[in-house]
Amino acid sequence: MKNLKKIFLFLPSIVGKYAYNLFDNIGHKVLFLYSCLKSTVNPPYYPNLFLRQLIKIGFNSLPVVGLTAIFTGMVLALQSYTGFSRFSAESAIPNVVVLSITRELSPVLAGLMVAGRSGAAIAAEIGTMKVTEQIDALRTLSTNPMNYLVGPRILAGIISLPILVFIGDIIGVFGGYIICVSVLDFNPKVYLVNIYNFVQFIDVFSGLVKAAVFGLIISFMGCYHGFHANGGAQGVGLATTYSVVSSSILILLLNYIITSLFFTI
Amino acid sequence: MRNKIIEIKKLCKSFGNKKILTNLSLDIYENESLVIIGESGSGKSILMKCLSGLHSFDTGKIVFKNTYDVKNLKKEDLFEHTSKFGVLFQNAALFDSLSIKENIFFSSKIFSKKILKEVGLEQNILEKYPADISIAMQKRVGLARAIMSNPSIFMFDEPTTGLDPIMADQINRLIRELVDERKLTTITITHDMKSVYEFADKVAFIHNGKIEWYGESKNLKGSNNKAIQNFINGKFN
Repeated sequence: MKNLKKIFLFLPSIVGKYAYNLFDNIGHKVLFLYSCLKSTVNPPYYPNLFLRQLIKIGFNSLPVVGLTAIFTGMVLALQSYTGFSRFSAESAIPNVVVLSITRELSPVLAGLMVAGRSGAAIAAEIGTMKVTEQIDALRTLSTNPMNYLVGPRILAGIISLPILVFIGDIIGVFGGYIICVSVLDFNPKVYLVNIYNFVQFIDVFSGLVKAAVFGLIISFMGCYHGFHANGGAQGVGLATTYSVVSSSILILLLNYIITSLFFTI
Repeated sequence: MRNKIIEIKKLCKSFGNKKILTNLSLDIYENESLVIIGESGSGKSILMKCLSGLHSFDTGKIVFKNTYDVKNLKKEDLFEHTSKFGVLFQNAALFDSLSIKENIFFSSKIFSKKILKEVGLEQNILEKYPADISIAMQKRVGLARAIMSNPSIFMFDEPTTGLDPIMADQINRLIRELVDERKLTTITITHDMKSVYEFADKVAFIHNGKIEWYGESKNLKGSNNKAIQNFINGKFN
């Protein structure tokens, strides 16, 4: 009888434990996000650190985002041709390229690239500062680590991602142009006029909104996991991994949610 | 009459099931150099962090200047409390993205050659980065940075760890001069008995999460306490 009771209690206790940990984890992250957002608004401000982060997260990610965008645009044009040529609908290729790039591919791929590049760097840098007591040192030097470390990174993430994505949009469309004009024998003027006539403000705007949200996610996850790193080099490595994995998953999840908010309601 | 600057009452701190500090009580007086000794893992650094508000504690009281209990402080006030402490961390904890100059003048921003002279630093290292200088130099820079923050209390966390005996002696002397000249309250955590005899006014020995012995450094050797004798003589059991 006792064993039966134990077996009956075992499953709910496991479920309860996981549910508790899950909500505890979410609660911690929400509180940290609140502190992060507060640190971007409340003084003191560190404009030099913000500019440095803008260069690190934004400008230095430009080559990788540019390369991703141009090859994506090229592949998209080629693959669309394979499908559309069967229905003699080749003229729709520029429309597909511009819509896919601006609405989905540019923000998502730029987000994933920056998460791997800058999000990991943020987690590693802050994590190292945590395990080597540099964050404690900041506190003793009358400096709030949230304002000094987190605020500039969050702000730089939110601002630099839309800029990167906008540039990625142009490069991606240009990638499609290269393939259409040089491989598929499109008239260059027709390609550009098609794109100009077809693309709408909301297509680009929705991509930029996504980019701003992804920028927040990337810098927030980097800061959160960095701040909670412990146990030396291994802890910093784990923080970096968690930061990249969690921001990548959140980018994909939020991409769906934002798309459905913009285009289905 | 000596003024109490910090009063610790029945302090308890644990991590999970592991109890680190158990009902630890200790008084720290103004303008006094207190050295806290104890085995590795006995909770010395945790105690230091609890005092400065860098770590929270489970139960007990830490009363600062008879005015407030650290446990009751709000987030903003706790931040204010922490900035009263100038800390030389175990591995100096210099900001590695900043130059030596930016590290030293992090809180004051006013350049002064005097501080460099005081801690024995040459001007030619100012443009270097922490990774480019030795650990002994890093500790001097850490000391200069702590002095520049103009704290009420200095804390030194194992200031001679990782240094050769000559460098350790230099750091000990530097702290001695600081204690003598500035007449500040200092709390030092160390394993190094040379440091104890160099600059301790009072010594507290932590064992099993409590203060096992407290007194003047000159009385340390004469203590009957077995744990202290084992510690001083470096004997296991």
